[in-house]
Amino acid sequence: VHLVLHRSIRTQITTKVVALSAASAILLGAALVTLIVAVTGQRDAARVAFRSQQALSLANQLEKSLLSIESGLNRYVTTRESRYLGTVTRELADYPAATRRLVRLVSDDAGQQRRMEALSDAIRDYDDFWVKSLIEIVSEDGFEVARSQVETNGGRARLDRVRAQFESLFNRERAVIRARERAAERGSARAIGLGIGGLALVIAIALGFTLYLRRSVLRPVRTVAEATGRLAAGDLSTRVPTEREDELGELARGFNSMADSLERGREQLEVSNAELTRSNAELEQFASVTSHDLQAPLTTISMYAELLERRRGDPGPDDIDLVDGIRGATQQARALIRDLLEYSRAGRGHLDVEEVPAGHVVDQALEALAGAIEESGAQVTVGDLPVVRADSANLCRVFQNLIGNAVKFTGEDTPHVSIDAERDDGHWRFSVRDNGIGMKPDHARRIFEPFQRLHGEEDYPGTGIGLAICERIIDQLGGRIWVSSCPGEGSVFSFTLPAASPAGAESPRVRASA
Amino acid sequence: VRGTPARLLGLLAALVLAVVVAACGGSDDDAASTTDRPAPATGPPIRIGTKNFTEQTILGELYRQALESEGFDVELKTDIGSTEIVHRALKRGALDMYPEYVGVLLSEVADVRSRPRRPAASYELAKRYEKRGGFTLLAQTPFSDSNALAVKPAFARRHRLRTIADLRRLKGTVKIGALAEFRTRFEGLDGLREVYGLTRLMSLTSENRYAALDTGKVDVASVFTTEPQLAGDDYVVLADPRRLFSSGHLAPIVSDRTLATHGPRLQAAIDAVSKKLTTRAMREMNAAVDLRERPPADVAREFLQANSLL
Repeated sequence: VHLVLHRSIRTQITTKVVALSAASAILLGAALVTLIVAVTGQRDAARVAFRSQQALSLANQLEKSLLSIESGLNRYVTTRESRYLGTVTRELADYPAATRRLVRLVSDDAGQQRRMEALSDAIRDYDDFWVKSLIEIVSEDGFEVARSQVETNGGRARLDRVRAQFESLFNRERAVIRARERAAERGSARAIGLGIGGLALVIAIALGFTLYLRRSVLRPVRTVAEATGRLAAGDLSTRVPTEREDELGELARGFNSMADSLERGREQLEVSNAELTRSNAELEQFASVTSHDLQAPLTTISMYAELLERRRGDPGPDDIDLVDGIRGATQQARALIRDLLEYSRAGRGHLDVEEVPAGHVVDQALEALAGAIEESGAQVTVGDLPVVRADSANLCRVFQNLIGNAVKFTGEDTPHVSIDAERDDGHWRFSVRDNGIGMKPDHARRIFEPFQRLHGEEDYPGTGIGLAICERIIDQLGGRIWVSSCPGEGSVFSFTLPAASPAGAESPRVRASA
Repeated sequence: VRGTPARLLGLLAALVLAVVVAACGGSDDDAASTTDRPAPATGPPIRIGTKNFTEQTILGELYRQALESEGFDVELKTDIGSTEIVHRALKRGALDMYPEYVGVLLSEVADVRSRPRRPAASYELAKRYEKRGGFTLLAQTPFSDSNALAVKPAFARRHRLRTIADLRRLKGTVKIGALAEFRTRFEGLDGLREVYGLTRLMSLTSENRYAALDTGKVDVASVFTTEPQLAGDDYVVLADPRRLFSSGHLAPIVSDRTLATHGPRLQAAIDAVSKKLTTRAMREMNAAVDLRERPPADVAREFLQANSLL
């Protein structure tokens, strides 16, 4: 039952659209048919008119030919010159064919056929009774007798009958032409009227349909679209009316339930976000407090170790080793705590973002690392570096970390480190390339996590916090950092920074913090 | 709301149908659908011809109507022309039958100049002549419509005219109003010259010979004895002592082929009409058409009805 109801609701607008389109198509078709009928009628009328004109012209010729027979015959009898008889004979030989043609031309009208039969009879009678007889009389009884026959006007009388038949035929044919023309004119006028009416109806349907679309379809759709805009702008409480039962009602209900679920989702998100922020802040507070509070006992331990060493005037070698052990462990613990404190501060606090020439920053970093570089014997190459928007102290720390790693994780060859930058859309991509020991691609992600180390403390010293700090700084400056490397083939550490050009340059994203 | 599209569609369909029907109903056929001619009878119709004057037209109607009432299919060709023309048409096969005057037949067709004294002998002579040509002369009528010459009574008194021979006493040329063929016929100028020795005659072709006589355009008129104008005392018919003008009994000439086709019923039907045609009856019918201007067909029908021939 639900399915059936659903389908019937779905098809309401579709049904209207299909019905109106079909009606328009049928109306247009009907208008077309009407016009075709009218044009065909006109063409038929023209054909009939042409045929009738032909018939009229042929009948005229035939009548003339009969008149010339009669006058030829009269001249022959009067003048006794045989050339007139020749004319008569020629005309006599021709008229039956002309009569037959005429019969064929008028064969589409029963009345005209009857008239044509009567005409043919009259012509034949004229020929049989008069022309043939008169020619016989000339040859059998002589011209004088024939002339007295001509004077009886018998031929003229008979020919007059023929001409009366012609007249009747002509009149009727003209009437037929006129009637057909009138019928065709009426037909075409009616067809044009119907065609215009049909087109007007189609236009009316189209207008009505447009109004219907505006009122019943477009307006609700616009309402939904506007609501969608408000929704996108963040007003998740937006709802649309759902009283309609058709496809648009369905759309509205769909929209509302989507908005409901979005609103619910955002509420949940806000709750968990607040929780997250709070626990994050607590965690950092904890780290900061813990590291700070651990400093004091460590300082106390290291002080006591020194006092112990100083109080014993001559300690034995074993004692010295023990004291050194305490001092070393204490120093390591302090380094760890220092790094932890640094890491927890790195993501926080105020950034002093300005346009910084990256070359100067790299020079500062190299200066700070001068000892380590000299010790490793590394060759450092610095390319042309741009001006970027960054906080110069933090950026210096990043370079110091990356270059320091490059001169620390060296293989057997002479270490080479090169620092370059490339333009990449709105950013600069910096790279620090070395020919050191490299790493497995699987580890490329892990090394950016805090206190993650790939090697033992005794192989390569360090707490494993440097790259984690770098990532935090670059992230805060609105960039991204990653590494590509393979074991034994060196590593390329790359990071991006927004370009210093004012147009399109985004200011670095400042992380929300408690 | 639910029913609206279906109703709308139905309405539009009806509208479209109306448009199409209206468009297709446009051509009204004005050709006549009925013919006024009955189904043709078996065989060709009997073609009856008549000569070119009133009496012949009436005769044609008489024979046509009588034959049609007997079930024959008849085609009547009136007003064909004079004997010279009509007889040739018959011989040529353009006609099957026409009524002819025995005397005219002998003098103008058979070229017999010395006619027997008795009408019956003339009839036999003519019949034999026609038989040779493949035609049959059916029974002749009681009436006789001969050629004659008539003058105004005053003119006759003034010149003491009684016979045709008396015309010789007239001085100068005598003008005769006649039909055109009179000029070249034996029972015309030829015979008048030959039999009566009248040489100073002039034939004036006149359609209305009596009017020409009345107005004095002509002195003498060539007349036919059944013409109704002769019934009173308005005109004097000149005697014909040398019998130039033969007896004017009429007999239908029918082709033997037609008689053979239609059998004795045809001849019986024709003879039945001929038998009733007296001089009085003929003159009466001529008067009805010529003087009272009644249609020949009506006059013929009334006569046939009166004589129980329809």
